[in-house]
Order: sequence, then C-alpha cells, then structure tokens
Amino acid sequence: MISQLYLFASIAGTPVAVMTEEIEAVVRVSEISPVPGMPPHIAGLSALRSRVLTMIDVAALINGRPTPRELHELAIIADISGHSYGLIVDAVSDICSVPDGELPLRGQLAPAWAPFARSIVENAGEPHLLVSLSSFIDPALTSQAA
Amino acid sequence: MDELLGEFISETQETLEALAGVVVAWEADPSDKERLDSIFRFFHTVKGSCGFLNLPRFERLSHAAEDVLSDIRAGRRVPDGSTVNAVLAIMDRIGELTEAVVSGASLPSENDELLIAALNEKKLEEVKGEPAAAVSAVAPRREQGSAQRTIRLPLTLIDQLMNGVSDMVLARNELSRKLRDLTSDPDLESAFERLSSCVADMRDSISKTRMQRVDRLFAAIPRMVRDLCRDLGKRVELDIEGGDVEMDREMVEMVVDPLTHIVRNSIDHGIESPAERLAVGKPESGMLRLVARQSGNQIVIEISDDGRGLNSDHLVRKAIAGGDLTAEAAAQLTEAEKCDLIFKAGLSTAQAVTAVSGRGVGMDVVRANVERIGGVIALENQPGRGLKITLRVPLTLTIIPGLIIKAGGQQFAIPRAAIVEILHQNNETLSISRVGGACIATIRHIRHSMIELEDVLGLPFVDQHGPRTVMVVRSASGIPFAMGVASVDNHEELVIRPASPLIMASGVYAGMTLPDNGQPMLLLDAGGLAQAANLSNLVDDRTIQADGELAGRASAVETLSALRFEELSGEERLLRLSLVERVEDLGADLFGMSGGRAFARVEGRLLPVANGHHRFEGACITTLRLKDDERELCYPVARVIDIVQMPVNPDMVLSGGTISGIVVIDDIHLEVLDPFTLFGAIPLDAITPHAAVRCVIADKGDIWAEEILAPLLRQAGHNVIIGMPDEGIMQPDDVILCIGPDGTEALPGHQPVVRIRNLPTAKDREDKSVYRYDRDGLMAAISAARTEKVA
Repeated sequence: MISQLYLFASIAGTPVAVMTEEIEAVVRVSEISPVPGMPPHIAGLSALRSRVLTMIDVAALINGRPTPRELHELAIIADISGHSYGLIVDAVSDICSVPDGELPLRGQLAPAWAPFARSIVENAGEPHLLVSLSSFIDPALTSQAA
Repeated sequence: MDELLGEFISETQETLEALAGVVVAWEADPSDKERLDSIFRFFHTVKGSCGFLNLPRFERLSHAAEDVLSDIRAGRRVPDGSTVNAVLAIMDRIGELTEAVVSGASLPSENDELLIAALNEKKLEEVKGEPAAAVSAVAPRREQGSAQRTIRLPLTLIDQLMNGVSDMVLARNELSRKLRDLTSDPDLESAFERLSSCVADMRDSISKTRMQRVDRLFAAIPRMVRDLCRDLGKRVELDIEGGDVEMDREMVEMVVDPLTHIVRNSIDHGIESPAERLAVGKPESGMLRLVARQSGNQIVIEISDDGRGLNSDHLVRKAIAGGDLTAEAAAQLTEAEKCDLIFKAGLSTAQAVTAVSGRGVGMDVVRANVERIGGVIALENQPGRGLKITLRVPLTLTIIPGLIIKAGGQQFAIPRAAIVEILHQNNETLSISRVGGACIATIRHIRHSMIELEDVLGLPFVDQHGPRTVMVVRSASGIPFAMGVASVDNHEELVIRPASPLIMASGVYAGMTLPDNGQPMLLLDAGGLAQAANLSNLVDDRTIQADGELAGRASAVETLSALRFEELSGEERLLRLSLVERVEDLGADLFGMSGGRAFARVEGRLLPVANGHHRFEGACITTLRLKDDERELCYPVARVIDIVQMPVNPDMVLSGGTISGIVVIDDIHLEVLDPFTLFGAIPLDAITPHAAVRCVIADKGDIWAEEILAPLLRQAGHNVIIGMPDEGIMQPDDVILCIGPDGTEALPGHQPVVRIRNLPTAKDREDKSVYRYDRDGLMAAISAARTEKVA
C-alpha cells in the first residue's frame, strides 16, 4: 500500500484524492466548445493536440449548477473505456504516497458526494475523499440529470 | 500471455476463419486436391506448433484430423458428409480451445474423445474398394503464386500511427497559418508545399492500413449456409462475388451481424424446401448470391435469393394486428411501402418461430445497425421469385463529406448525404407558415415539418445580417423535414471520431470531428434531430403520403438513369442508360481497325466501334453495346461503375464534341456523353448494310482480281467467289465484277454487273466502268448495282 500514489486536488471546495493510475495528465484548460442540449456538468469539448476531450465540470455534478467558465482552470485528463475526458478541478496540490493508505469513511457523507466517494485518504493531517474518476462519467448520471 | 502463444492463437483463429469456406467447398468437390491440401496444412501447422508450446489437447485433436486427411490424400479413404462434419467439429473445437486459452477459462475435455471417435468411426468399413475420386488430381493451381509479403502488427500501433499523422496535419495547419501571417517568400512556400503533400500522402497510406478485403466479411458465410441447409433440410447454392473489394476494418465488423442475419432469413424464410421448389417449377436447390462492389464512396452489398420473396399482404395483416397500422392507412400503401413494413419492430414473416430465425430480433434491428453506420438498406421484392436486399454502407466510418452549418453562434457538422436541398429563407419557392405552434415549410407545393436547429438544441437565436438558411434533411429512415439554421458555412471532408457515450446519449449527435482550426465540432445526427423535435413519423400521415407521391413524381421528371463508367483513358463519364442495350466483355481479338474505322466482330456481324482509337490491354474488353432505333455500335470502356440518377438537364451544358454537359453526382463532376454526336459520327454506309453482298469475279486467273480485288472486297465484308459459278448457284442479287470493257455476251444478262477498267479516265460517255484503283467508286458501284437490281 505504501507504493500507492495519490493526486490531491480540490473539487467544489472539497479536498479529494485520486489514484494516480486513473490519471493520464493534468493540463491547463484551453478553450472549450460547448455542446448544446447537454446536462450542466458536461462543459463541452476541448482539443488536446489531435485528441478531443469531453470536459466534465465535476463541481456542477456536486453543486447542481455549472461553474462559471472563467473559473475553469485545471483539468485531469483520463482515458475511460476508450474515450478521453478532462475533469475540471479547482486546484491540484500534491502527488504523494500515503503511509496509512485508505481509511474507512466516517460520518455522514453529503448525498451529493455519495455516488463518488469510496473512502478517506489522509495527507498532511487532512482528510481527503478518495474518488474514482470513472464514477463521474457514469452514463446513468447523465440520463438522471438530463 | 506468452508472446509465442499469442501469435499461435491469433494465427490459428485467422486461418480457421479463412478455412471454414474452404472445407465447405471441398465437401462440394472432394476431388479438389488443393483445398484438401490447405486443410491438411492447417492441422499440420497446429500440430507442429502446439507440440513445442505444450498444448496436448490441440495436438491430439489436430493429430487425429491430420491422420484422416492424410488417408484421404493418399486415396485410402473417401471424404463423405460425416467425415466432413467430423473435421468441421474438430475445427470448431480448436476454435473454442483458442478462445479458452485467451480468456484463461477451461473447457471440459471428455468431448474431445467423442469428436475423435466420430472421425474414425467409418475408418474400418472404408478399407474396401477405393474409388479414384481423390486421386484424380488436377494440376495444382497456384492461385496466389506471388503472395504479397505481409507482417502482423498490433492494432494499437496502427491507431497510434493514425493519431500521429492527425497531429502532424494539425501542426501543419498551424504552421501554414503562421506562415501566411509572416512572409511571402516563394522558396519557403514551395518547401512548405512539399511538406504538405508528403503529409497528405502519408495520411492516405495510413488510412489504407485500415482497409480490409470484404473476403473477411464473407469468410464465415459458406459454413453458415452449409450448416443451416443441413438443419433445415434445404439445398442452397451459394455464389459469392467481389470479395476483393476493400472497406474499412471497423466497417467490416459492423456489417457482419446484419449480413449474417439477412443470410439466415433468406435461407430460413426465403428459400423453399426442395419439394416445394419442385412443386412450383423451380430447380431443387435454391440460389443465394452475395455480391460486393464499390460504388463511389460506398460499398454495395447485395444479397439475393430466388426464394418465395416477401408476402406483403401478410406483412400488412401482421402490422394491423399488431396495432402499428390502421386498415385505412394500409389501403393507401404502395407495394414497396408494404414491404418496408418488415423493418417495423416486432414483425416477423415466419409463421412459426424456428431455431434459426424469427426470435424477435428482426429486420428492425438489422436496419438500425446498418443505419447507425450511415448505411442504407433497400428491398427489391419479386413475390414468388425471390428477394434482393441491398446494403449500401460508406467505405469508411472515419471520413465523410459534411457540411459545416452555423446555429446559435456555434458551428456544427452534418453529413452531406442527409441533405436534400438548401434554400435561403427568402427564396420564392419557399413559404413558411406557423399554425398553433407547428411550423410548416412549403417548398414547391411540398409541405415539410420544419424545425429550427436552435430550438432543438436549446441555443439562443443570434441576430444576423443575411437571411437564414433552410435545409431539407432526410435521415436514412423517416421522412424529410426542413431545418432552419443560421447559415451554411462550408463543405469539407470530415474525419469523424466517436464522441464519448455521455454526448452520444443525447441522441442528436453522431460523432465529433476536429477541423483544421483546432476547435472540436459536433456531427449532427439527422434522424436524432427529427426524433428530438418529436416530428411525426407515422406512415399513415396523409399529407406526408401525398407529399411523398408528389416528391416522387417531381424527382421522376427531373432525373433519369445513367450508366456511370470509366473510359479507357481513365475519365469517369455518364451515358443515358436507355441507350445501352447491353454490357459485355469482348475478346480483344474481336476488335479491328481498317481504313481509319474501328469495328468489332459481334455475333457474326461487324459493328462500328465509337472510340476505337485505343490499344487494348488484356484479353477482354468491357464493351457497351449502344443502339439507337436502328443502328448499333460498340463502345469499349475500362469498366462500368454504377447506375446512377442524373438530372435531365446537366449542371453545365457544353456543345460540340462528344460531351454534352457536366453533372455533379456524389460531389464528383462527371461528363455526359452526347449520344447525338456519338451516332452522328458513324458513317451511314457503315460496315453492316451491304455486308451480305456476294461478289462474283468473272475473270478467273487474273492476278489483279484474285490478289488485290478479292481481298479488298472481303475486307469490305463481301463474300467473294472467283470464277463464274454454275448458273443454278447464282443468286439474283449476286454482283458480277468483270475486268475490261468487253465480254458482255459471256455474262448472264439478268445479273447486276460492275465493270472495271484499267485506265483512270473513262473511254466515252457510255462507259459505266470503274477505275480499278478507285476504292470508293468500286464500293459505290457494287452497292448501286445491287440496289438497282433489287429495285
């Protein structure tokens, strides 16, 4: 477990941890072309060299309302079941391994976070929600939201 | 997985796929040594490879099969149905085993023994008399004598290459923009041009790696047909054509299922049992034909059978019973529309559900699958005589011609194929009316439901200067509708990639593309848009019904069928189909040239050849036989491409020359041959009319007459007899040629006579003779003498 690396970031003001295996890169968000007729958390499409990323406004999934465009700064690039996604996050703080590993969830999780968080990872004495990136793009979410 | 093992598995799977057809062909003709050899080789290779890979089960199976086959090869055994079955069973088992190795699952092994036992069952009783069937070895045909050298590459590598080239194209575009801003140095520009063309070439060749022969699509069919026929007790002859057509690898995979389904249906429901066929006077075994060909940027796959065809009334009854159709609406349907009911969900023509088909997964799924990849499916039903199903699928999934349109300040792409017509909103043939929220666009008396793209997508309307654009959109299924957009910006070849499932879930997008400006763009799905806008799609909508008829009539007036072909010189041209009597392959030796005129010997006649000033390559020349009301001519072409609808009035009219105009079909401009000039160019006294004249050369022994005159006459198509025949043999219209002014007394007076003189000038006015080197005069005199007589 020691060797497990986590990326620590913050989404909708909440500190989260992501297993680095799920991550391809973290990039600065460039121009996003909107996709009309989509639920609010799908911010649009963005080109990363010759790849086209589907940009997910993760905060919108949590808050239920889209984040203003100018706040789109960083995105975690991930390849999920053959498609490339960019998941927009507020900030990225660190990548490191954690001595304690995953800790079970304690306390009552807000319903908005429940579908995404698995457990807790502590970094520098602060608890982070361990989230799985693929849970953010579950098509079931889209159909509910749409 | 171990690398060697992986290679063995994929090689085995591939050979198995290819071999299924071979085994069936071998069963049909057991004396075919070559096929037997290739099957034997397969087992031998498997046996050899698995020996050192330590796969004992593979080894045992393949060893048993190899034994039997080598007996057959040596003539010690005759291949019969049960042997072939057993061999097929072993091949299947090997296939299952490879799958199992890949997935790491285990397969019970006791069945292996049964299979091997089945293989050897007959061995004992077969030692008796040996028919020489297997020995009648045909000289080995080397079909792929110079096989191309190939290597095996992982798909991911090719995809990476593809991506790399796409990146390169984007980088090139960016560079091009920057260069345009900076300098106008011709040296730099030409260097850049060179780079561009290299990149373009590379993109082309990389895209070719994605192509695959349609063979692969057809590989599994013979085996399937054979097995189905056994199960159902039917006899079917399978005819496969055009396996060397190439199409996109992904496309092949997408078409396999629909094709399999159609073939199953055809054998299960279409082709009757041998007894039924005999009863209706058809040959006992049915005919199933699969043909693939390329037509423009589409692949056309035709599946035709000579079975009972579709029973349209039965379909209608079913649809009414199922509540999909009202009886009144049904009464209005045309025959073709009735047949199209087969594509409605839940309709099956099968009287009873059989194990083979009719399990509810019907033609609706087939159609949906074909349309999902941008294809079209069409039926041609001849009740009692058969059914032909035509699949038209794009050559590749990835590159399609598309229009870039703008709505709500954003750009979208839409497949060019979905657009029927584009009009400005202020066009006088268009009127738009709104009734109770519904919007109706009337274009030349045809009413279409109208939607605004902005409304469907929930975009704001952006103010603009010029008029908005209305396009008539037709999805692969459903009814054309009008769609308003802000403008149509451009027409481009788009490289389409699949969009993520999140985006596809909305149903209005078919994919996405990254144009040269680096801004991702969405590809709209015409059918999805209509659905999202809740446009009526009912068959029994009377207005649409009438509209459809009107539209049908209108288009019938506007277009005519034309044959699209490639000239020997390489251009693609069109010719009215009605003039083409037939298309046939003629041997190159049938063509000839004389006196500056080209002709071809066809069915014992000489026909003029229109563009005969070519040298032919190859033994056979595809020739169009054209006919006006009386004359025929041959028109050799490189190949016939397709039959297309072309507008009656060409897009650009040219006069003079053999080209009457230019039309644009599938975004390619094609020249239209002018039949007027074509027939006008053939001299009237063509080779045909007086070909039958028999010429009698009176002066036997005259060297000039025998060596020079006779060949000239023969060349002109006349029959020549040298020396006066007996009186009785002469026919009244035989023309006698005699040299020298004298000797009239010796000739029978009732025969037409042409006199030939040695001097260029006539002796006197009475002299009707012809100078002997006046070829035209001679020919004219012969036909004149003949017609005189006949008259």
